[in-house]
Amino acid sequence: MIGELLVVARIAGRACALSALDVKSVIEIGTVTPIPRAPVWIAGITALRSQALTVIDCRRAIGLPESEWPTDHRAIVVAEGGHSYALLVDAIDDITTGASEAGQVPGGFGPEWSRIATGMVETMAGPALLVDLGALLAGPDAIRQEIEAVV
Amino acid sequence: MDDLLADFIAETREMLEASGGELVAWEADPTDRARLDTIFRFVHTVKGNCGFFDFPRLANLSHAAEDALADCRAGRRDPDQQLVTAVLAVIDRIAAMIDAIEANEPIDDGNDDDLIAMLDVSHETSETGGLEGVKEGSNPHLHAPASTLLASNDEANAPSRRADPAAQRTIRLPVELLDRVMSGVSDMVLARNDLAHRLRQAGTQPTIDGPFERLTTILSDVRDAITRMRMQRIETLFGALPRLVRDLSTELGKQVMVDMDGGDVELDREMIETIRDPITHLIRNAIDHGIEAPSARLGQGKREIGLLAIAARQSGNTISIVISDDGRGLDEERIAAKAVATGLVTAAERTAMTRERILNLIFEPGFSTAETVSNVSGRGVGLDVVRQNLEKVGGSIRVTSQPGEGTSFTLHIPLTLSIIAGLTVEVAGHRFAIPQSYVEEIVQASSKQLDFTRMGETALVTFRGNRVPCLMLGEVLGLPACEVAAREPTLVMLRLASGDLFALAVEGIHGHGDLVVKPLAPAVMKSGFYAGSTLLDDGQPVLLLDVANIAAGARLVSDTRARVLSALEDSAAKVAVQADRAMLFTDFAGRRSAVRLELVQRIETAPASAIDRSGARPRVVIDGMILPLVGLPESPLAQSRVRLLRLSDGACELLYAVREVEDAVELTEALHPVPEDPFAEAITLIAGQPVTLVDAHELFARHGEPPIAAERPRCTLPEGEWARTILSPLVSAAGYDIVAEGEAGPNTLGILFDDVYEVAEALGRPLPQQVIRLRDQPDAPAGSGTIYRYDRESLLAALAAARKGVAA
Repeated sequence: MIGELLVVARIAGRACALSALDVKSVIEIGTVTPIPRAPVWIAGITALRSQALTVIDCRRAIGLPESEWPTDHRAIVVAEGGHSYALLVDAIDDITTGASEAGQVPGGFGPEWSRIATGMVETMAGPALLVDLGALLAGPDAIRQEIEAVV
Repeated sequence: MDDLLADFIAETREMLEASGGELVAWEADPTDRARLDTIFRFVHTVKGNCGFFDFPRLANLSHAAEDALADCRAGRRDPDQQLVTAVLAVIDRIAAMIDAIEANEPIDDGNDDDLIAMLDVSHETSETGGLEGVKEGSNPHLHAPASTLLASNDEANAPSRRADPAAQRTIRLPVELLDRVMSGVSDMVLARNDLAHRLRQAGTQPTIDGPFERLTTILSDVRDAITRMRMQRIETLFGALPRLVRDLSTELGKQVMVDMDGGDVELDREMIETIRDPITHLIRNAIDHGIEAPSARLGQGKREIGLLAIAARQSGNTISIVISDDGRGLDEERIAAKAVATGLVTAAERTAMTRERILNLIFEPGFSTAETVSNVSGRGVGLDVVRQNLEKVGGSIRVTSQPGEGTSFTLHIPLTLSIIAGLTVEVAGHRFAIPQSYVEEIVQASSKQLDFTRMGETALVTFRGNRVPCLMLGEVLGLPACEVAAREPTLVMLRLASGDLFALAVEGIHGHGDLVVKPLAPAVMKSGFYAGSTLLDDGQPVLLLDVANIAAGARLVSDTRARVLSALEDSAAKVAVQADRAMLFTDFAGRRSAVRLELVQRIETAPASAIDRSGARPRVVIDGMILPLVGLPESPLAQSRVRLLRLSDGACELLYAVREVEDAVELTEALHPVPEDPFAEAITLIAGQPVTLVDAHELFARHGEPPIAAERPRCTLPEGEWARTILSPLVSAAGYDIVAEGEAGPNTLGILFDDVYEVAEALGRPLPQQVIRLRDQPDAPAGSGTIYRYDRESLLAALAAARKGVAA
């Protein structure tokens, strides 16, 4: 992570970092068309040029309960498994470089955060939680299904 | 013999392709045992297969290579680089020979001793020491012979390949690049749509519209070409089948010959992948259950070798693939018994079912007739999964079978996945797209007219006398209900690939057009309601509904449907004997009037500005057709929009302007003629109130005129080959559109054989209002009302009369 470019955003009030390599662009989010019957953490789809982006509400995707968060008018566009997503976050803070490897903290990050976080990373703009994009996009149900599978 | 040869070539090719990577890997590491085994198996198989054919050169070559490799496997010698080179040269030459055999060229009497010697030479050098061998192997001198030999071989074969007139110039491209171009073109289409939208808003601009039209034409050409680029010959799928058939039949002790046809039919690459498993499954079934053991076949007077025919055909936008065997056929009784036993149908229902419907029960979930599950077919995947997978991509499957003669499965699949014609509907402020292929008809009417009822949780509507299950799209998707929409819903009648019809209630139709469908994120797909997303021409993203899945989720398919449908067929018969029905309305003079319901095609709403009063009669343009308009008041209209009844007598159409449309009613009371009013057929009582029934005869006689783009009258034909091939061209030429029985409207002319007619009449089945009865014998008693089927004059006269009869 040292020297690697990171996009730092605020999700549910916490500083989170995404590898800039994963981030394709940051867009002004336009009209979001909701998807009825889709999981709650999928806010809908939106158009980026001729592409349809799945809009993910990161707060809900982590599995946090519904509450009022400010939402940035910009969204982070990422691609995973051939699909493009727009991530809704509280605010997009900065693009900065990592100053440490991802590490754990004593006591962990809590179950929701642990699922989506690779670890804590020091950046030039302060410490941030390094987000595992795949885990984030799998949604909060993923962990439940795993538990069910084990049980 | 030719089939066997084709199999041999196909198999060798396949192995060559598969072992291509192995060869390269083996070259990098000659000690790799697994690679060695693979290559040994290849030459061994080639050698074995050559035995059946007269290819001495092939046999010698593969034999020599096999010997050398066998020594390596047995540890008698170390695979060194020289040996690798020699083996590679041998394999390349085998490939060249296979090319020659396939092109039907005689293999020249060239000499392979050089290559065989090379295998041996390396054998000797390796005895003197592996290390030295390696050294010599890296010596360019030893490589040279192989490459020059190959070069000369290539030269010998090349002219013959180039001379092949059918051969097209081709290049290989990475799929990824193709996808990029494809999505680029899709984006261009969307950008064009957006531009079109903006241009429409800006009004006509001749300087821009011309070039824009040209751009549109070019773009659609490019899109066609690109779509073709995505296409792959179905051969790529067929290629692997001979081997599959061979292996399976050997395993099961059966003899099966495979006959493939239509390999040049092209299909979307992704679609080929989608149908690979279903087709493999059907072939497994055919060999395992369909084709009998050789002794049983001989006993029945059949050829010892069973025949499995696989044919692909393209018709319009669908591909049909037929997989047929000449085996024992499906056992109707056993299927029926099984279906009753598993509770799919009741015994009473079973007796009422046709053979075809019983046979198609094998696609129902949880159905499998094989009493013993063999390791070939019973793999836990039933035919229901096959059907499901096909329906997922908008396809369908049917089975037909003759006992003792064979079974054939017919698959229909759409040509491509990515660009489809679609309908955009609106519900609770959301827009959704529906693939056009499902849409049978759009009905707009009040819920009373549709006889909307709720049976428990299921809603039913009456459509053309049939009770059809109805899904509220808003409810399905958990959207807030809308009052107005509930009272006057727009129904999209959807026909599933399995033949089930259901109605989807929406709030409005937004538009239709070509949709570029893009895949959705997996988390959204998992919800099971959507098949993809697309952008409308205003740039708004829209979700494409997964119609088959929604229907399945509401359990509108499979066994429940069978019951509802059979019940409906009965009720349809009852509806047919109902009293005449009429559309009740208030005209602009304030009179309550009615017009016979059969005449009413649709209720249109047009802006008052669309009415053109400049001519002798007012006219309105609806759907691009200029139609005469009656019933307007003399004074200018107060409303900005006017309701119009679109009346049709089959040939002519006119619009009847009304102040208010009330409802469809039954004409139960007596009709009193009104001689003093030429436009009134009669006066009758409806709910105690007098109502004037419009005289359609007079109306059409005075005002009716064929619309500019007139619809052709429609006609149904009797079943059978004769009607399809001999009768239908005649009827078409007489100006009729031939439609299937299910699509017959009230004005559709029916042509029936007299015996069929009599039976139907005797049983009180619904008959078309207009019928031409055909007889088989040239002579018939006078006044029989039938026409000899080859009496062209009378037939044409009857067809013309029927047209006029409708028009008059």
